[in-house]
Amino acid sequence: MTFGTMLSTMAGGMLKTVLLFVLTLVGSLPLGMLVVFLKKSKFKPIAWITDIYIAIMRGTPLMLQLLVWYFGPYYLFGMNIRGYKFPALLIGFIMNYAAYFAEIYRSGIDSMPVGQYEAAEILGYTKFQTFMRIILPQVIKRILPSVTNEVITLVKDTSLASALAYQEVFSLAKQISASQTSFMPFVIAGIFYFVANYLVAWIMNRIEKSMQYYK
Amino acid sequence: MKKFLAIGLTVLTLAMLLSGCTAKKDGKVFKHGFDLDYPPYSYIDDNGEVGGFDVELCKAVCEYNGWTYEAVPFNWDAKDAELNAGNCDCIWSGFTRNGREDDYTWSMSYSDNTQMIMVPDGSDITTLADLAGKAVGVQTATSAYDLLQDSEEGQGELAATFSSLEIYDTYTIAFNDLQAGGIDAIAIDITSGNYLMSSTPGYHFLDEALGSEQYAIGFRKDDTELCEQVNTALQALVDNGTYDAIGQKYPEIYEFLCLKPATAE
Repeated sequence: MTFGTMLSTMAGGMLKTVLLFVLTLVGSLPLGMLVVFLKKSKFKPIAWITDIYIAIMRGTPLMLQLLVWYFGPYYLFGMNIRGYKFPALLIGFIMNYAAYFAEIYRSGIDSMPVGQYEAAEILGYTKFQTFMRIILPQVIKRILPSVTNEVITLVKDTSLASALAYQEVFSLAKQISASQTSFMPFVIAGIFYFVANYLVAWIMNRIEKSMQYYK
Repeated sequence: MKKFLAIGLTVLTLAMLLSGCTAKKDGKVFKHGFDLDYPPYSYIDDNGEVGGFDVELCKAVCEYNGWTYEAVPFNWDAKDAELNAGNCDCIWSGFTRNGREDDYTWSMSYSDNTQMIMVPDGSDITTLADLAGKAVGVQTATSAYDLLQDSEEGQGELAATFSSLEIYDTYTIAFNDLQAGGIDAIAIDITSGNYLMSSTPGYHFLDEALGSEQYAIGFRKDDTELCEQVNTALQALVDNGTYDAIGQKYPEIYEFLCLKPATAE
């Protein structure tokens, strides 16, 4: 295998990595917000169930969760799981990352002083207006560094998809390395991940800077 | 108080490190590198301990040569890195020599092996040609995988007719997926396949084999002396019946063991 073929094969794997990464973010960033609302629900059973969900998502390995999402429907209900691999991967990643994002959002919301809610109430804001116009913009600003951390972790966590035979860049690197008895594929994979994460960090940094409207 | 604790811990750690060093000095330690999930050659047995035909045979070789046995289980993808880094002395885990002749110093072949296609009973697949348009699973970096990737000498052209070739980290997951109906067939070594089928009925091999090959022990290219010592020990174990005795414990691979006592040759 020439270096060129190796590079183009792995670039194909990188595309699949990026696809999984983008779809996971699109799903889990909003879902995390929904989870926070459920967790803060006044109706206690919903809050408890949400707590259990977060505990399971954070307390078990993501690879195990992927296997459960994929094989679960078959072992529990005897369903036909043909063609369900990629949806199972997406569900697994989104559900897992939503739990982490939810906790990050909660840390931001809880850090807001009570005085702001009181002041908003006196000024005649509804609860919805208070949250959307006063609280949320500040929360987003505060939690951005933590979100960046989590997003960078996600780029690297996509390699766990190989558990369900998803040919992302790291499992390709392992396969090519084994068949060519060469370490080069790992170096290439490392560079791919680094460049992707550098890009993520750069974009997040730009967003952070654009929000420093008081400086 | 904390300071004393810190000093105490440091001394203790150093003592442990030193004693670890001295323990290794008496007698050679033979580091057996293998895949922990490759039954019946190497796996975790019912007691939660390292077991399998290769593990037992390796222990017998160590005993014969007066070496201390050390198990080095690794991730199959990382076998070359582990060997070249010196973390293990050999790769001995149902390791196919065919197609890798120039990459390692090889011991004598101790087991034959064939790659087969495994399908559920009642499947409409009866020949290799029927696999066209089907989803086939294989474990990464195995000989069956290599065979399906190789278009010149292997079955690469056949693999091109599959609707997809799903590449798993372990055969355990691939077999789960076959049971669950996620794929139609698995390409697998006959011995590993027999092991999976022995615990789960309802599956069979196609009559047509995918390919055939031999298992041997792979050493680093410059380790010819070590390889010779293992070869000598292997032949002695074959002659004194130990090889046969260990083989009988593994009925699913017994018929494939190919070493014969020296007098019989």
